[in-house]
Amino acid sequence: MFFNKRSIITLAIVALFLAAAYYFFISKGITYIWHWEKIPEMLFYYGTKSAGETTPGVHLGVLMIGFMLTVKISIIAIIFAIVLGTVVGIARLSSEPVTRAISITFVELVRNTPLLVQIYIIYFFVGSMLRLSALTAGTAALAIFEGAYVGEIVRAGIQSIHKGQMEAARSLGMSYGKAMRYIILPQAFKRIIPPLAGQFISLIKDSSLVSVIALADLMFQGQQAVARTYYAFEIYFTVAALYLVMTFALSMATQYIERRLAVSD
Amino acid sequence: MIEVRHLYKTFKVHNRKDVKALVDFSTQVDKGEVVVIIGPSGSGKSTFLRCLNRLEEVDSGEIIIDGQNILEKKVDINKVREELGMVFQHFNLFPHKTVLENVTLSQLIVRKRNKQTAMRIAQELLDKVGIREKENVYPAQLSGGQQQRVAIARALAMQPKIMMFDEATSALDPEMIGEVLDVMKTLAREGMTMLAVTHEMGFAREVSDRVIFMDGGQIVEEGTAEHFFKNPTHDRTKLFLSQIL
Repeated sequence: MFFNKRSIITLAIVALFLAAAYYFFISKGITYIWHWEKIPEMLFYYGTKSAGETTPGVHLGVLMIGFMLTVKISIIAIIFAIVLGTVVGIARLSSEPVTRAISITFVELVRNTPLLVQIYIIYFFVGSMLRLSALTAGTAALAIFEGAYVGEIVRAGIQSIHKGQMEAARSLGMSYGKAMRYIILPQAFKRIIPPLAGQFISLIKDSSLVSVIALADLMFQGQQAVARTYYAFEIYFTVAALYLVMTFALSMATQYIERRLAVSD
Repeated sequence: MIEVRHLYKTFKVHNRKDVKALVDFSTQVDKGEVVVIIGPSGSGKSTFLRCLNRLEEVDSGEIIIDGQNILEKKVDINKVREELGMVFQHFNLFPHKTVLENVTLSQLIVRKRNKQTAMRIAQELLDKVGIREKENVYPAQLSGGQQQRVAIARALAMQPKIMMFDEATSALDPEMIGEVLDVMKTLAREGMTMLAVTHEMGFAREVSDRVIFMDGGQIVEEGTAEHFFKNPTHDRTKLFLSQIL
């Protein structure tokens, strides 16, 4: 089951916390006239999209358009971060000193500089040389940044597998690559699902930084909407809730995968 | 079939004296011969087996298997390993694969057999080691003795020319040793070339052609199992046997 009893309890606690915060807000005597009624149309609206369109229909509002882009950026970046992280993690454990050194340098360089700076560098410097779109540059920056972290997680995962597994695989005539692919990595990935989930939740939240290069993601659309309407509270609460929807869904999905993979334990 | 000449292997241990695991070690094993290697811990028995399929790299010496020196650079070690089955003390089954998958995997991706053939061979071998009914369970659900029998089937599935047993019964509960030894004895009687590091002298007496007693990386004494039971010559051998028998 995707939504189990525990996840419902989690949601209940979150709701309770929000209610308490709201009560505190009111009790401070702050008078603010809420305009929650403006929010639904930022999610979905009924009407015509453009002037030329004659038959009205249901369309995505600005926040949902941003939400969809954030989902898209996150999914692509997660896929590339896994691929990059696996390569980096294996390279880190290579018997070749040069390969190892390249991997370590990459990890230290990427991990120890701010993502925001990297996004600017990739967009304005690399991007203008290679004529990358903001979408490509932003997604690449995210994938590279998270890939460095994933690399360290993958390395730890590989190292946690008993060396007898590699020896057994090699003694059967498997090459190093085959042993990695069929024996070590499947076991390592199963073990690193919890830290990977944490990393990908970070990735989704970090993706809000790509709004600085005018990528119209959820954060960017939220900021624009605030600038237009001044409903800062309502909009940012909604934006936060939409990020929570994504990250919570990811948490649930990884818990589901973990349970599925537990059959061989 | 196997000829080993002047093997040296030293383990470098950080901040401590180097451990000489093999010192000028030479021996040979003929086709169909069953050789049992005994000796105190740290005497180099396991290291010797692990050098034969190059899980450990030797410092110097020659290992000639079927006329080929496998220590030469041009040798494809994966091809050599296909012919050298190995059974480990701690089984090392692949925990994420079912019993049947454990026995078919290397057939499929190394021997490149088709699925039907691999399944047929695997099921025959699982029958042989008496664990066919468990083919769809995962290793974690098996007892130690059952796991080790699967590990033997997994090694046999490659149809190796030689089987090596590295203390295959040492990690088992006493009541499970018998079932694994029975499988090993059957193999020995069928004419498999075998090298077994073990302290099971009953096994040595029943099926071995030769027993090697090692200490300090060298052969101290070798002969038939009878010889070791009746009149071992070296004091070191006598002392060791008095402790394990």
